[in-house]
Amino acid sequence: MSRSVTPPEFGWRPGLRTGVGLGLAVFPVALSFGALATTLGWPPAATIICSVIVFSAGAQLALLTTLTAGSTLFLALGAATLINLRFLPMGIAVAGSLKGPAWKRALGAQTILDGSWAAAYQGAGRYDRLTMFGASAVQWPVWILGTVVGVVTAPPPTLVASLGLDLVFPGFFLVLLLDTFRSTPRAPWIAGIAILLTGGLLLVAPAGVAVLLSSLAALVILIGRGRGGTGRSDDAELA
Amino acid sequence: MTLWVAIGVLAVINFAIKAAGPALLGDRPLPPRVSLVVQSLAPALLAGLLIVALLGQGWREFDWRLLPGLTVIGVLWLLGRSQIVCIVAGVLVTVAVRALV
Repeated sequence: MSRSVTPPEFGWRPGLRTGVGLGLAVFPVALSFGALATTLGWPPAATIICSVIVFSAGAQLALLTTLTAGSTLFLALGAATLINLRFLPMGIAVAGSLKGPAWKRALGAQTILDGSWAAAYQGAGRYDRLTMFGASAVQWPVWILGTVVGVVTAPPPTLVASLGLDLVFPGFFLVLLLDTFRSTPRAPWIAGIAILLTGGLLLVAPAGVAVLLSSLAALVILIGRGRGGTGRSDDAELA
Repeated sequence: MTLWVAIGVLAVINFAIKAAGPALLGDRPLPPRVSLVVQSLAPALLAGLLIVALLGQGWREFDWRLLPGLTVIGVLWLLGRSQIVCIVAGVLVTVAVRALV
């Protein structure tokens, strides 16, 4: 990519700034969760505690919809877990960037959220943990506040669309994806395959499973390489 | 009671999923081939997240009126604009398109 681009910033402060942007998108989602849970009969305390200790939109909505639809506890937990399994490869990816003993890295990994994880990507497999911490530190209280407001006010779900806030997440992911084109070899190929794979899977599988399996597109990087994982000219870009 | 158990167990599962990689792998160097795949996870997962956010389960949340906003974001990114400028411009275009259509 031969063009001038504002270089991304990393650290606590850029992370907090990113968190404010993401918080604008997170708030209405949390509000929707709070409103929906109240409508479906969850007690306010359970709804708010769920947002405090689970802090995952997809898993919380899966648990809410499956339990209130009469599903068993086991199946409801299975659906919610499948949605959050995408955090497993994300955790593996950031493992080398978190510091300290195992318990400290495990705690730091709790700040892995889709947007925070993506914002922390520095290229060539490196992640800035402070950026991830900062972005998540803003989103967590916003998520709880949004849930509380949703429980109390129960606004109509059309509010998010009328303000154009449903573009924030796909827009944010698009910008970060384009950024990887500068830092990761074969990124356009990997992204193209992931898009086709995810688009197809969404027709037959839960969204969380589709995202999880999109990670298989990363295997494209191995095509044409020897058993040692080297042998291509673009290895230099990874160094 | 089932609800409280479900919330508690889900919180524990969520913690374990996120903690597994960092706690077990740490900063040990990965084998070269695994390392290459891990480095390639970002574009793969970001593309997956983009499509899920755009289409939703069973493509039921797809709204074509988001596409002009995404196009503007892509163009501004090519012009070297900052992340926040790209997103704000995309949101404004989406609001305008929805007001017109």
